[in-house]
Amino acid sequence: MIDGRPDELHQQFEEVWGNPRGWRAATIVNHTRIGLLFLLTGLGFFIFGGLLAMLIRAQLALPDQTFMDADTYNQVFTMHGTVMMFLFAVPMMEGLAVYLIPKMLGARDLVFPRLSALGYWCYLFGGLILAASLFLELAPDAGWFMYTPLSSLPYSPGVNSDFWLLGITFVEISAVTAAVELVVAILRARAPGMTLQRMPLYAWYILTMAMMIVLGFPPLILGSILLELERAAGMAFFDVARGGDPILWQHLFWLFGHPEVYIIFLPAAGLVSTMLPVFARRPIVGYRWVVVAVLTTGFISFALWVHHMFTVGIPHLAQAFFSAASMLVAIPTGVQVFSWLATLWLGRPVYHVPMLWLFGFLVIFVAGGLTGVMLALVPFNWQVHDTQFVVAHLHYVLVGGMFFPLVAAVYYWLPHFSGRMPSARLGRWGFWLVFGGFNLTFLVMHWTGLLGMPRRAYTYAPGLGWDVPNLVSSIGSFIMAIGIATVLVDVLLHFRFGVRASPNPWHADTLEWATRLPPAAYNFISLPNVDSRYPLWDHPELAKKMARGEQGLAAIAHGRRETWGTDAVNGEVREIIHLPGNTWLPFAVALVLSVVCIGLLVKAYAVASFATVVAAILVLRWSWENGAHEESGTTVPFSAGDPPLHWRTHDGPGRWGMGVTLLADGALYAALLFGWFYLWTVAPQWQVPAQSPLDARAMLANVLLLTVATLWLRRVLAALRRGSDRRLRGQLAMIAALGVLQSAHLLWLMHASGLAPKATAHDAVIAVVLGYALFHCGLAGIATGLQAWRVHYGFVDRAAPYEPIVLGQLWYFNLGVVWSAYVALVLFPATWGGG
Amino acid sequence: MMWLYHPLQIPLGLIVWGMWFIALYSGLSVGCAVAPPDATAGPWNWLNIVLGGASLATVALLLGLSALCWRASRRVGQNERAKRFIARVGASVHLVAALATLFIALPIVGLPPCV
Repeated sequence: MIDGRPDELHQQFEEVWGNPRGWRAATIVNHTRIGLLFLLTGLGFFIFGGLLAMLIRAQLALPDQTFMDADTYNQVFTMHGTVMMFLFAVPMMEGLAVYLIPKMLGARDLVFPRLSALGYWCYLFGGLILAASLFLELAPDAGWFMYTPLSSLPYSPGVNSDFWLLGITFVEISAVTAAVELVVAILRARAPGMTLQRMPLYAWYILTMAMMIVLGFPPLILGSILLELERAAGMAFFDVARGGDPILWQHLFWLFGHPEVYIIFLPAAGLVSTMLPVFARRPIVGYRWVVVAVLTTGFISFALWVHHMFTVGIPHLAQAFFSAASMLVAIPTGVQVFSWLATLWLGRPVYHVPMLWLFGFLVIFVAGGLTGVMLALVPFNWQVHDTQFVVAHLHYVLVGGMFFPLVAAVYYWLPHFSGRMPSARLGRWGFWLVFGGFNLTFLVMHWTGLLGMPRRAYTYAPGLGWDVPNLVSSIGSFIMAIGIATVLVDVLLHFRFGVRASPNPWHADTLEWATRLPPAAYNFISLPNVDSRYPLWDHPELAKKMARGEQGLAAIAHGRRETWGTDAVNGEVREIIHLPGNTWLPFAVALVLSVVCIGLLVKAYAVASFATVVAAILVLRWSWENGAHEESGTTVPFSAGDPPLHWRTHDGPGRWGMGVTLLADGALYAALLFGWFYLWTVAPQWQVPAQSPLDARAMLANVLLLTVATLWLRRVLAALRRGSDRRLRGQLAMIAALGVLQSAHLLWLMHASGLAPKATAHDAVIAVVLGYALFHCGLAGIATGLQAWRVHYGFVDRAAPYEPIVLGQLWYFNLGVVWSAYVALVLFPATWGGG
Repeated sequence: MMWLYHPLQIPLGLIVWGMWFIALYSGLSVGCAVAPPDATAGPWNWLNIVLGGASLATVALLLGLSALCWRASRRVGQNERAKRFIARVGASVHLVAALATLFIALPIVGLPPCV
C-alpha cells in the first residue's frame, strides 16, 4: 500500500503506462485505447453499412426501379449484411467488452495486451480490404451467407467471393483473439475477493459470449478455408460430381451463424443488465437465475442451426428436434426479460436518455423474439422461407437486441469517453426518430413478406401488392437514418458543449466508475479488494482510496506493468501478472498478414508465401520477448513477500490462454471431422477408392513417434514442476528434433500417398486433415526448439518454468489430433467399408 | 464429494445436454443411412427406441446430478458462499438441461425417423 497524492502517483504511473503520440501510437497495446479503436472503427463500418442500407431502400421504394442494376444490387445487399454482421456488430460488442471488462473487474489491463492489439489491426486491415472490394466493383455478391454452389467458381467466377472468404477469415482472427483474451481475463485477472458470485453480471455475459465465439467461429473459418481451397486450388468439397455436397457449407455456416445471433445479443443483454439496475436504483432481481439463463441461452443456441435449413429436405423428426430447441431458447431469454421487468417494478426508476433506448430495446426485441418462435415452427417457416418476413424478423432481433442497447450504452458511458454528460433534448429526438423510423420500416416489412415478396429481389413489378408497403418501409428507413444522424450529432456536440461529469455520475455500482473520467491508461493507481457484488454502492469511498494508492499493487518504481492474477473461483491472489509494454509487433504482424491476404486474392502466391514466412518470423520474435527477457522489463527485482510474477509459476494466464486457444482450434478440427463423416454418410456421389491411399502402417508409425515425443516431454515437464531443470536444454532440443522428424515423416506420407484432392472430396478431406496435423506438429517442434534456445539464454529454468508447461498443452492436443486422424482416416474406412 | 463444488459443475449439465444432442442428431442421420426403419411402422421402431432410451438415460443422469448438487449446496457453511453458489447454479443448470432434453426428445414418440 502506498499512501500518496493522486496527481503525483498519476505522473509515476503515466511514465510506465502512458500512451505515445504520433506515428508511435500504432505501438499502443493498452486495452482502453484498443477498445476505443474498436468502437471508432466499428462506428465507421456502421455508417458504411448504413449507407448501403439506404441504397437498398432507395432501390426498393418503387417498382421497376433502375436506380441500381441487378449485379450492383447483389453486391450492395451482400456487403450490407456482411459489414453489419462481421465488421460492426461483433467487433463493436467485443470492443466494448475489451474496454469495460478490466475496469469492471478492478484490473489494469487484459492479460494479453499484444493479442488485443493484433486483433484490432487484423480487424481494421481485413475490414478495409473487404470494403475496398465494393469500390473496385468486385464486392461479394452471393449473399452474406455465401451459399454454395452460387458462391462456387462456376457460378461466381470473379474474385468477388474470394474477397469475402479471405477478408472474413482475416477479420475473424480478431474475433477469436479478443474472445480468448476476454475468457482468460474474466477467469484469472479479477480483483482480489471478487468470487464468481460477486462478478458483475456483464462479466458472465461476456464470458458466455467469448466461449461461444471460441466454439462457434471455427466452423465458419473452416468452411471459408475449404471453399477458398476449392475455388483457388480446385480441391473438391462442395461439388456433388466429385463426391462433395453443397449442403455441407450450409451446415458449417449455420453452425456458426445461429450462435452468431446470440454472440451479438448476449453482450447487449449484458449491457442492459448493467445499466437497468443503476437507473432502477436497486440490484437486479434474480442474479443467479440470470446467470443460469445466460449459460442456457449460450448452449442451446448451438442446437438451432438447422432451423435455417428446414427447406433443404431433412427428415421430419430431425426438423422437430431443431424446432423444439428453437422454441426452447425463448425461455431463458424470457427469464432475463422478466428479471429486468421485476427490477424496474421493485426499484425506484429514474429516466435518463439511456433508459429510453432500453425501453425501445425491450419492445422491439420482445417482438423479434416472438416472430422467432413463429419461425421455429416448421410449417410456418416453410411458408415464409426466403421472404421479406425473415428480413424483418432478423432486423427486429438484431437492431432491437443489439443496436438499441448499444446506443443506450454509448450514452451511459459517454462520460468515460469524454468526461462530459450527454444532452437530454437531442438524445430524445434521436431516440424517437430511430424508434419510429425502425418500426415503420420493419413492422411493415413483415407484411411485405407475408404478401410473398422474396428477399434479395432487386426489383419487382407493379400491381403485386408490394408497392405501398415497400414505399412505407423506405420512408421509415430514411426517418431512422435521420434519427441516427441526430444521435451522432448529439455525441459529437457533447464533446464541446456537454456538462463536465462528476465522479460516478449515474451512481453506479460497478468498478469502471472508480477510474478518472476519462480514465488513465493504467485504470487504477491501486487495485481494490472486493467484498461485495456492488462495490461502489456498498463502499462509496472506494474510488478515492484507490486513487490515493491505499489499495493493492500500488508500487510502480520497478517500471513494470502489473495486475493481479487471481483464482478463478474464490478470487484469491495467486500471482502478479506481468504485462508487456507497447510494441510494434502486433501492428507489423497484422500488416504482413494483410499482404498474405492480398497476395492470395490476386493469386500472387510467391508474395503470399514470402509474407507468410515473414509473419512467422515476427510471431516467433513476439514469443521471444516474454518472461525473463530484458525487453519485457524484468531487470528490476520484485519486493520480497509479494506474490511471484506469473512466469515464475506453473499456472499463469498463458496456460489458460493456450487452453482456450486450443479449444477454438479443436472446434475447427471437430468441424473438419464432422465434414468427413457427413460427406461419408450423406454426400449423393461420395466416392471411396477400393484401396485407401494412406499407408496404414506408416500412419501408425507416425502416430507412435509423436506419442513417444509427447510422453518424453511430459516427463520433462513433471521434473520441471518438481523443481529440477537437469539437462533441460538437451532434452527439449531432442524432443524438438523428434517433433521435426515426425512432421517431416507426415509430409512424406502425404506426398507418398498420391492423394488426388482435385479429383474427389474423399482425398481432398484427407489432404486437409493431414495438412492440419502437419501444421500443428511442425509448430510444436519449432516452438520446442525455441524453448531449448531460451534455456540456453537463461530465460527458462526451474525458477522460470512457465513457458514449456504452456507449450506442453499443444503437444497433448497434437497427440489427440493425430490419433483421431488415424481412427477417422484409417480405422473407420476399414471397418465401415471402402478403403 | 468435493467434485460437486468444482466450477465445472456450472456448465456440466449443458455440456452433457450438448453431447446428447450431437448423439441424437448424428445417431438419427447414421441410423437412417445404414438401416432405415420402415416408414409405415410409425414411431415405434428400433431407431426411435434407441434414441428415446438414450434420451431417458440422459434425463435420469441430469436429474441425479441436479439432486446431488442441490444437496451439496445445503451442506456448506455460512462462510462458504462460493461453494454454495457453484452447487446451486450447478443444480439449476442440470435441472434445466434435463428439462431441455425431455422437451427436445418428445417428438421421438410421435414421428417416424427417416421420412
